[in-house]
Amino acid sequence: MRVCAGERLLLDDFGLRVQAGEVVAVVGASGSGKTLALRSILDLLPFRPGRIAGEVRVNGARRDGRSLRGDVGLVFQDARGSLDPLRTVGAQLAHAAGLAGAESPGPALLERLGFAEPERAAQRYAHELSGGMAQRAAIAVALARQSRFLLCDEPTTGLDAPVQAALVRELRSLREVGILFVTHDLRLLPGFADRILVLAGGRVVEEATSLEGLRGAGRALVEATAAIAPPSWPRSRA
Amino acid sequence: MRFALLLFGLLAAGALLPYAPQADVHPAAADLPASAAHLLGTDHLGRDVLARLLAGSRAFLVPGAGAALLAGLGGVGLGTLAGWYGGVVEGLVRGGLGAITAVPPLVLALLVMMAVGATPTGLALGVGLAALPGLAEVVADRLAELRRAEFVVAARALGLGDLRILAWHLLWVNTRTLVGREALAIVGQALVLEVTLSYLGRFGVQEPAPSWGNMIDHALRTGSVNPWTWAAPAGAVMLAVWAANPAGGRR
Repeated sequence: MRVCAGERLLLDDFGLRVQAGEVVAVVGASGSGKTLALRSILDLLPFRPGRIAGEVRVNGARRDGRSLRGDVGLVFQDARGSLDPLRTVGAQLAHAAGLAGAESPGPALLERLGFAEPERAAQRYAHELSGGMAQRAAIAVALARQSRFLLCDEPTTGLDAPVQAALVRELRSLREVGILFVTHDLRLLPGFADRILVLAGGRVVEEATSLEGLRGAGRALVEATAAIAPPSWPRSRA
Repeated sequence: MRFALLLFGLLAAGALLPYAPQADVHPAAADLPASAAHLLGTDHLGRDVLARLLAGSRAFLVPGAGAALLAGLGGVGLGTLAGWYGGVVEGLVRGGLGAITAVPPLVLALLVMMAVGATPTGLALGVGLAALPGLAEVVADRLAELRRAEFVVAARALGLGDLRILAWHLLWVNTRTLVGREALAIVGQALVLEVTLSYLGRFGVQEPAPSWGNMIDHALRTGSVNPWTWAAPAGAVMLAVWAANPAGGRR
């Protein structure tokens, strides 16, 4: 996939494959094109791209961005902002399920995603939820829509560490969906991501199955993270 | 909001009283004080003040509803154009609205009424046109803010089309209360203008048809000894404006 704004190349040769039940992480510094990559998959760029080329295949069939919307769910960094401010979580779940022609999953889905009081949560509005709960509610909306893939755009940003860990665990347990997980926080990846892609300057520069496998640009990210990571973090052996 | 609707409903219930507000002229029973038969007494022609008060509400309720409808449809339409599309469209619409706003609302309403005539239709058109830019600006501001919101991108990601997002999510779910409140305030503006016209200019509803403005005017000019002839319509104006004013009441 390739995206240009005018003459400027924003995303170059971005290609990957995600299978159901698989978690593929895309890491990279801010401005490396992570969000752009996710949004261009669904043709959701906030500007009119000068040129956009590439293709998305689902089960071998070629699909354009618009037709993928819904089948592929988008989970935002700002979960609270991604929920309708004036409708309850339950109403939004029912609406999303209705779009897929399904029954509302209701509180059962919320419970699966770690809500202690799913009945009450369903009656709440976005601004009444904590950051972690809002993010779970947003994921629930995508699942209620029967999305088979989730594109997660730094969904853990702004959450505290235990909540991040719980969220990642819950995402990992969703065996029915494939997940493309964009983040700049490599600490989340061990035990979570099946594969790791490193994005720099709008280009995939490296791919590995674990943090230890990263060598070039990815290695630098790993070492930058080591300064704030626990002792078990894979440190440079130099 | 509910309180206001209730009040307006009561005001429109004049038909239930056993007196005709215009035809029941009894010079012998003029200027009677309040009693069980005439709860607010009678005026200088012996007409029941309460019956005229309730019937007088129609002088502004009907044009007010018309004005709210005109400003509502036009304001939501233009506001949606400006707020949703932004850019050049927004500049043009806001510029056009600014030109209307440059004329003070009262003067604009009077100008329209001079052109159309001092009729209920003229009042509705005048107030509606004067209130339209304000409503359009409110809707445009709201949509300009909402359309950039992340939940709009989220709704697109769910597979919803732009029209659906605009009509249902933005206008209906997220803007309708705002428009409702503004519309109610417009009914209040129609009342104030009607009272102003029929009291000051003797321009509005003419005798023998009652309006709160001409009731106050006539009561003061004939010097009725029944204080309700002016106090009742004056009090009703205050109550109704307060009820219609969104800042004064709870939703």
